[in-house]
Amino acid sequence: MRWRDAFTLALESVTRRFGRTALTVLAVMLASALLVALATIVITANSRVIRQVSKGGPITGIRVLAAQAQPGQLESDDFRPGRPVDLTIPAVEEIRSLPDVAEVAPVLVADTLAVPPETPDGPERIFERMVGVDLRRPENLPVTVLAGRLPAPGLSSEVAVTLGYLDRLHLDADRPDAVIGAFVDLASPQVYRQVNGEIDYRGRWVHAQIVGVVAQDAGAGQFLVPIEQTQADREWALRGIGDGDRQPLPTSEFTGLVVVASSLDRVGPVRAAITALGFATSAPEQLISNVQRYLRVVDIVLGAIALIALVIASLGIANAMLAAVRERRREIGVLKAIGARDRDVLRAFLLESAFVGAIGGVLGTALGTAVAGSVGLVVNAYLTQQGLEGVRIIVPWAVLLAGVGGATLLAIAAGTAPALRAARLPAREAVGGA
Amino acid sequence: MSLPSTSSGVAVAPTGGVAVEGFGVRHAYTTGGEQTEVLDALDLEVAAGGHVAITGPSGAGKSTLLSLLGGLEPLQAGSIRVGERDLAGLGGDALAAYRRETVGFVFQHYGLVEVLSALENVELALTLTGRDRASRRAWARELLEQVGLGHRASHRPAALSGGERQRVAIARALANRPRLLLADEPTGNLDEEAAQHVLDLLEALRAERGCTLLVVTHNRRVAERANELRRLVGGRWVEP
Repeated sequence: MRWRDAFTLALESVTRRFGRTALTVLAVMLASALLVALATIVITANSRVIRQVSKGGPITGIRVLAAQAQPGQLESDDFRPGRPVDLTIPAVEEIRSLPDVAEVAPVLVADTLAVPPETPDGPERIFERMVGVDLRRPENLPVTVLAGRLPAPGLSSEVAVTLGYLDRLHLDADRPDAVIGAFVDLASPQVYRQVNGEIDYRGRWVHAQIVGVVAQDAGAGQFLVPIEQTQADREWALRGIGDGDRQPLPTSEFTGLVVVASSLDRVGPVRAAITALGFATSAPEQLISNVQRYLRVVDIVLGAIALIALVIASLGIANAMLAAVRERRREIGVLKAIGARDRDVLRAFLLESAFVGAIGGVLGTALGTAVAGSVGLVVNAYLTQQGLEGVRIIVPWAVLLAGVGGATLLAIAAGTAPALRAARLPAREAVGGA
Repeated sequence: MSLPSTSSGVAVAPTGGVAVEGFGVRHAYTTGGEQTEVLDALDLEVAAGGHVAITGPSGAGKSTLLSLLGGLEPLQAGSIRVGERDLAGLGGDALAAYRRETVGFVFQHYGLVEVLSALENVELALTLTGRDRASRRAWARELLEQVGLGHRASHRPAALSGGERQRVAIARALANRPRLLLADEPTGNLDEEAAQHVLDLLEALRAERGCTLLVVTHNRRVAERANELRRLVGGRWVEP
């Protein structure tokens, strides 16, 4: 019998006996659905947790501060800053040229006086900081958009605010959308004269629209703006006279950096090299390592659940196929009586198993994807309520293929013993008694 | 015996019957460690194109003899020759090829695959020979026409009467132009009228194709239609 004919025969047998195979298909479908849903949820959750740990930035990100590193810096994930030290362009270039450094994103924080829109019980003005970052490469930054979007790169008329800004204005943090579209006036200070020991300031005003609400860990401040704006503010401050310790003129080109290592296992060496250059650093190395350890445990537990489901499904397939062989002994005998070889029968039964697996796999994968999507909706509702970025459920192609292909292979494996039994049945089964 | 050939030298399907010879055929079954002798040094000779009926009580060895002649199980002792083919020593694929190319079976229980239509059941036998779909479908349809069931081609066995099912089974048995037709109680499940119809059909087809026909039956009237009547009791021939 040719493969094509065996294929057609097996397909007809499965589809025309679908009432009998429905339960087996259901078992495969549920196992496949569980596998796809669990795999999707685990993959999404893992990346979301790691993303949360790395504050939305790259998992291999290292924060660098324009300050000297205190002894024992590398023993802690957090900064151990000493006295300020300038982070100049040559220093940045030196860091950029270190081995295993993939990206370097500069950060420049500047003081500002903000005049927010009027609110019932909010302040008329607040003294705050603007965090200027390179918004052309936001993926390199520990910034998470909670609502709206990031300001356009280089555009000083757009600004994003943090939940801390909402808090300072006594606004509801559960409704970050409410501030989007509002305008805020931001003034950068410049000490332009000193009269009788008193200093006079003047401001460089910018009228900016709030386009997004973010959680950010790039620098200390409640406004996130394009770095071009804080660089302009620095230039503006430098044109003034400053005032000693009270309002010193800025000397450092940048207040910090986000350095991205080429891989997770290179974070440690890169951080050590930057620290050796004399800068305080911070990277959630130990935290990520611990979290990954816990996630591994979760993976193992969920993997075990999926394995149990697969075993149950394969037992269901094997049982159903064995029952089919028992019920169809005479049919198998007749098939052999009209000339079928053992391998023809083996092939037909294996293909039947494969079809059951494939049908169950396709249905299960679709169901699993739907379940994962539904779980995502519930999780997103909760995360939004908590003021956190939602998750995007994406079923990886590998999981889809594993759902369909795995179910098919599982069915073939489970159907092998029954198929062999069918193939070995004697042709005499067609006749019966002596 | 060589197959007739076309002018291009390609072998064509055999026509006509085949002689059957058996010598000292013994067969036993072992169940629960106990051996039961079913055939006891049986000799058999059937002329090519002959029509032989084998009768006997239940357990006499009729179906076993039919199984051995049809290659449904390997020979344990003795020899059976069907045409030029010696069945002794044949097994596995060789026996399957013998069944496919030489023998046609008609069973009491029809042996139709329930999920396939009448046409597909007939086609199934042709599928095993590797013929292309169009030609096997056309030939299966023609066979169903010959047994008077062209109009029932798309029906499944459950939608057919007993007589119709047996006619489908006969069409399937003839699909590969067998030279030896073996029928095991072909009218056992049929009423009088349907049985008569099936017997008429078997006889007509045998006469037309000249194949050798062996019928195992309990039915005296079926047996009387044969050219030769044999009676088997306890694995040995006795006087009918």
